[in-house]
Amino acid sequence: MPERQIRKLLIANRGEIAIRIIRSARVMGIRTVAVYSEADARSAHVAAADEARLIGAAEAAKSYLNIDAIIEAARDSGADAVHPGYGFLSERAEFARAAKEAGIIFVGPPGQVLAQLGDKIAARNLAAAAKVPVVPGLDAIEPSAARDFAAQIGLPILVKAAGGGGGRGMRVVESLEDLDAALEAASREARAAFGDGRVFLERYLARPRHIEVQILGDEYGNVVALGERECSIQRRHQKVIEESPAPGLSESTRAAMIDAALRLARAARYINAGTVEFLVDGDHFYFLEVNTRLQVEHPITEIRFGCDLVAEQLKIAMGQKVRAPGAPQGCAIECRVYAEDAPHGFRPATGAVVDLRLPAGPGVRFDTHLVAGAEIGAFYDGLLGKLICSGADREQARGRMLAAFDEFAILGVTNTAGFLRDAVASERFVRADLSTRFIDELFSDPPHDDRAESDAALIAAALATQAPARGAANGGRTASTRSPWAELSGFELWRRQ
Amino acid sequence: MKLRAAEERREREVEILAREGTHLRARIDGREVSAEFDALAAGGGTLSIDGRRFRIASARRKETILVAVGPRTFSFVRGEEGDRHRGRGLAAAEITAPMPGKVLRVLVREADAVVAGQALVVLEAMKMETALAAESEAIVKRVLVAPGQMVDHGALLIELSPPAANPSTRESGSPAS
Repeated sequence: MPERQIRKLLIANRGEIAIRIIRSARVMGIRTVAVYSEADARSAHVAAADEARLIGAAEAAKSYLNIDAIIEAARDSGADAVHPGYGFLSERAEFARAAKEAGIIFVGPPGQVLAQLGDKIAARNLAAAAKVPVVPGLDAIEPSAARDFAAQIGLPILVKAAGGGGGRGMRVVESLEDLDAALEAASREARAAFGDGRVFLERYLARPRHIEVQILGDEYGNVVALGERECSIQRRHQKVIEESPAPGLSESTRAAMIDAALRLARAARYINAGTVEFLVDGDHFYFLEVNTRLQVEHPITEIRFGCDLVAEQLKIAMGQKVRAPGAPQGCAIECRVYAEDAPHGFRPATGAVVDLRLPAGPGVRFDTHLVAGAEIGAFYDGLLGKLICSGADREQARGRMLAAFDEFAILGVTNTAGFLRDAVASERFVRADLSTRFIDELFSDPPHDDRAESDAALIAAALATQAPARGAANGGRTASTRSPWAELSGFELWRRQ
Repeated sequence: MKLRAAEERREREVEILAREGTHLRARIDGREVSAEFDALAAGGGTLSIDGRRFRIASARRKETILVAVGPRTFSFVRGEEGDRHRGRGLAAAEITAPMPGKVLRVLVREADAVVAGQALVVLEAMKMETALAAESEAIVKRVLVAPGQMVDHGALLIELSPPAANPSTRESGSPAS
């Protein structure tokens, strides 16, 4: 078997996923190189790796999206492989090609696969050719053709960016007079985000589920599927709660989806880990896109299949064959905790972590880069961590999630943990009444006004203002050090009461 | 003490009336509440109200009081602090960034007259565009940002002055409470 050895791996990412990748590499005896921006010099992923290289300024374009700087860091550190994580450069064909030209193994699909599947129009055409159902849509958008298409299939319709992802450059058009503005806005957003202003139209499914299939492919043409993930609970077209298996999905639909994903993977000559996303409407499913990388929500698959997907990616990159997975066990649920203000439109929040309490126990995993003192800034995605709970069945996994949230607290950064707890506790979630409309529907339910909880919050706030000035409580020691702690008084003082 | 939850208009009034050992009595919006507070060695503590036990922690940062009750986060500003941002005759005299992000477009210039609901600035944060609009008729007094600039949560973007009035009267418009 023509195996290549990876001895030193550069992780072209930050945050929880960088740490996640470092952990698997270390287990395999591979040395790790972290890269970081000026804003991340004190971040946990930098300390977690065997060595670290500064690659540029805080702005992602100058650091985590800077292909030249990353390739240079890989060369300079003697790394023989680079893992892109998710987001940033993970789906950029030019990054995979640049690595290859530099003689560095890219842990992901080859450049041509990334290029084909990254172009949503090309991917749709490939899916259709592989007899994978696609949502009725239109590629070329002349305003007049767009109007005809809308008239033909009915409103609402969805405008999407050809080079897009993560909800950017996406617009729902409810009425024809909004069509031109939506095309313009989606195209502008797409050009700004992806440097590609092409957009296309699709029928908008009002209440679909989002279900995806994990695939692994090797360079010998073998592809395998590792079950599905239900990812319907989203805000701004981005997932926040995922679970596996997809509840209520019929065995025949599940089998048909897995079969379709494998057909598409073979047609694309897919290599490494990937995810084929579908919209599901009853027993009908439609191809959405292929994510040509490790997904954020990969841990729920790892738990059910007892595997390590990062290790699988590295083994594939070293030329090993993929093996058929065993039968999946139990149920796993993931909640993504973001630095956002859920009740106010999930607005991004920033701040410094004053203190955090992390849950533990059977079937509880928390993937994070947070430590006390960590600064959450505005430069990067606000994912703080992923709480992943598993059990023999959905009810046990759900119960563990609720118990874990009861142990969980992050003080200092407004975050979505309280919202996630409510969502998992909700009757809608218990019934598995899931669709991409879940959060809107949850917010439209009568709010449960928890007076005791809001009283507790107000009393806690009042107690914080009662605490004397910090210097006095420290026996006259003045806060002469210019640290982010200087302005934080209440919590520190409580330790001494 | 008057507190306003960040992003909300409704003011709450809370006062600690007495603390004896772990027992605590507070008045919240005119209603008396009694609770048991146990401080923890690790910081924060537990607060028992109505037979339920909450884990709480709090910290102050500048004018904001940050609170965690179990997994849920709250942030409050003092009622008086919130009032400082209000000018006479204006729903809001200062347009501030509701979230950290990048200024995408500035749609007005200084001395422009604007109407209620008119978009002034477009911010981009975390993959979405948000237009910030005037809440009432006003004159643009100052524009403090330019497209492409990164701004923090709460950063002052635009100052407004009342429609046909002298902008210098604004300072006198801050009530004490």
